[in-house]
Amino acid sequence: MLEIVREYWPMLLVGQYPNGPLGGLALTLIVAVLGLAFSLPLSLLIALARVSPVKWLSFVTAQFVRVIRGIPLLMLIFWAYFVVPKLIGSSVSGFTTLVCALVVYQAAYLAEVIRAGIEAIPSGQIEASRSMGSSYMLTMRKVILPQALLNVLPSMTNQFVSTIKETSLGYVISVNELTFSANQVNNLVLTQPLQVFGVLAVVYFIVCFSLSRSLRWLDMRIRRSRAMA
Amino acid sequence: MYLLEAQYLYQMLGGMVTTIQLFIVSWVLAFSVALTLVVIRATEWSVARWLVDAYVEYHRNVPLLVHVLFWYFGMPELLPESVRGWLYQHNAEMSLAAIALGLGAAAYIAEDIRSGLRAIPDTQFEAARAMGANYLQGMRYVIIPQALRHAVPALIGRALLLFKNTSVTMAIGVAELTYQAREIENDTYRTFATYGAATAMYLAGAFLIMFIGARIHAYYAISGGRNA
Amino acid sequence: MSYTFLFRSLMALSLLGSIPAVHADQLDDVKSSGVLNCGTLGTSQPFSFQDNDTRQLVGFDVDICKLVADKLGVDVRFKMMSVAARVPELNEKRVDIIAANLGYTPARAEQIAFSHQYFASRQMLMVRQESNIESIEQLDGRRIGAVKGSSSERDIKNRLPNSTVTGYADGSATYLALQQKKIDAQYGSEAGLMRFVQQAPANSPLALIETAVFVEPWGLGIRKNEPEFLAAVNQILVEADASGEITEIFDKWFGADTPYAMQRAYEVEPITSL
Repeated sequence: MLEIVREYWPMLLVGQYPNGPLGGLALTLIVAVLGLAFSLPLSLLIALARVSPVKWLSFVTAQFVRVIRGIPLLMLIFWAYFVVPKLIGSSVSGFTTLVCALVVYQAAYLAEVIRAGIEAIPSGQIEASRSMGSSYMLTMRKVILPQALLNVLPSMTNQFVSTIKETSLGYVISVNELTFSANQVNNLVLTQPLQVFGVLAVVYFIVCFSLSRSLRWLDMRIRRSRAMA
Repeated sequence: MYLLEAQYLYQMLGGMVTTIQLFIVSWVLAFSVALTLVVIRATEWSVARWLVDAYVEYHRNVPLLVHVLFWYFGMPELLPESVRGWLYQHNAEMSLAAIALGLGAAAYIAEDIRSGLRAIPDTQFEAARAMGANYLQGMRYVIIPQALRHAVPALIGRALLLFKNTSVTMAIGVAELTYQAREIENDTYRTFATYGAATAMYLAGAFLIMFIGARIHAYYAISGGRNA
Repeated sequence: MSYTFLFRSLMALSLLGSIPAVHADQLDDVKSSGVLNCGTLGTSQPFSFQDNDTRQLVGFDVDICKLVADKLGVDVRFKMMSVAARVPELNEKRVDIIAANLGYTPARAEQIAFSHQYFASRQMLMVRQESNIESIEQLDGRRIGAVKGSSSERDIKNRLPNSTVTGYADGSATYLALQQKKIDAQYGSEAGLMRFVQQAPANSPLALIETAVFVEPWGLGIRKNEPEFLAAVNQILVEADASGEITEIFDKWFGADTPYAMQRAYEVEPITSL
């Protein structure tokens, strides 16, 4: 395994760069960061819309989430690649398509996780807060969401980590991220697929593990500071 | 209407059946393993907790594809030659894929249930113990049922993911829906038609799971609660 | 969002690929833009792959595309694409031409136009030497592995009706399955299999079954209804064949100095006549 790393690390790290487009782990990280950055706020909005008392809003978002969750990401990426340019009338890169598809997909999943958190908070709390004269939004912001988000942090961490791993599906539209690079290496080394995939597993593990550990540490800290642990 | 000939649709339906079989077997496996993990994780014994954590971390942080390849290409090498030979004659792809998918999903399901557990105040468990229930009884009758109830939305999401993730097993030659779609695409180059049909079939399967999930959610909901 | 709407959209999408393009001639477009956009796989040694030292895209298909662009008097721009996206990429006009392991079949030719044959892939079976299998027929009833999407599994099923064919993600995975005795033979192109025979460890050698299962003609993929562009590409191939340029490219990637040591045994000729 070490030999593979020694020989092919530039390809795994940056792809064809600087002789071609940036790829490999660098691209995986960029896609993942963009995916997380856009999907989190979007998912909060969707979750709030889903539990909101406004009927049509919760209906529309519920249907949206339902359809997105029903389509395999692989298919969603594939369709986005060919449909998005038709909708906006100009061609977009595979990279942009992948980020868009990931954001929409992850937002739908995260929204479900957050909704579950909101619904797990006893309804008495909302009633208490409202009866004290707080508005609906204030109740959500100050009473419900802080508890709900904290309660579902482990599930949210799962989703974040999934986002990183799911960037690997970019290969269907030829985004030459880490898995794509690993396939190229595999094609060169040929007879050691287990080792190549071993290297791939270790790299993903390191990236994902550091993320989930940092979030767990954050979770502990918040709980401790609130004396909940 | 130009879509796909009957012969191809039939082939795709065959793939769909395989997908559903794989989903059901791996879900049952995943759920049983997950419950075991949760109970072990909740004990005071630090070695057990550490082992469960390691199990969960491995599955959460390594892509499913790599995990599936490991079970297909790595694990059987540890078996005796005769068992291996038998396995390869009896659709090894399918059973090893189910194990890989099930074990992977178990890690996530365990975490979802744990999230549900956290919504339940510790005092409930203490009350159960005070009333004379032992550790397992307290978990079984008081804590787990409530945790499951809280975890239902997350678990439905997990089931959906598992259903869709079955497509990863095409890498080791399991002839499920995506495998068949790609096969037909490769024969005909009618990419949009085949992928369109496959997407529609996945959606249909997913809606069925959501429908069943909604029923379960309604069944478990606390009467008089906000979501009853 | 109603289900009917979704279903209709999917239907509409499935039709997209079959609507003939109405626009000016592609040959003029390419020449006036000065660039030939060539789609290729990038993961298929020695046809198109990333060289580890220079990290540039190289290979037989890459050189063929360069040749076509040169003769048209334009620059070449490569686009790597996956097997699943290659045909839509072409039909959606994201690329002008694809050189991506396109084996000709009549069904496939309903979706895209094939140029003259620029390569002929001898599709062969590779077995473990210790299994002592020497003929194709001996494999009937045994398990055969192939790369998903690389070549038509149907051909092997026609030849060996009692065998089961399992499709794997790539050549390496199929090789591993063969070595682990999960399958008894690996089906693929001569060039692809030869590399495995050469790189297999000495204690578990592999061998090719001498006779090819069949010879698959490969063409460049071009959108349908572009007769002038197709004719221009075909003419370039024919002329490059006569001038020895195709043989030169062939020898560079498959000749005596390469691990494949193959002899060129095909002509550049119209595929439909084969």
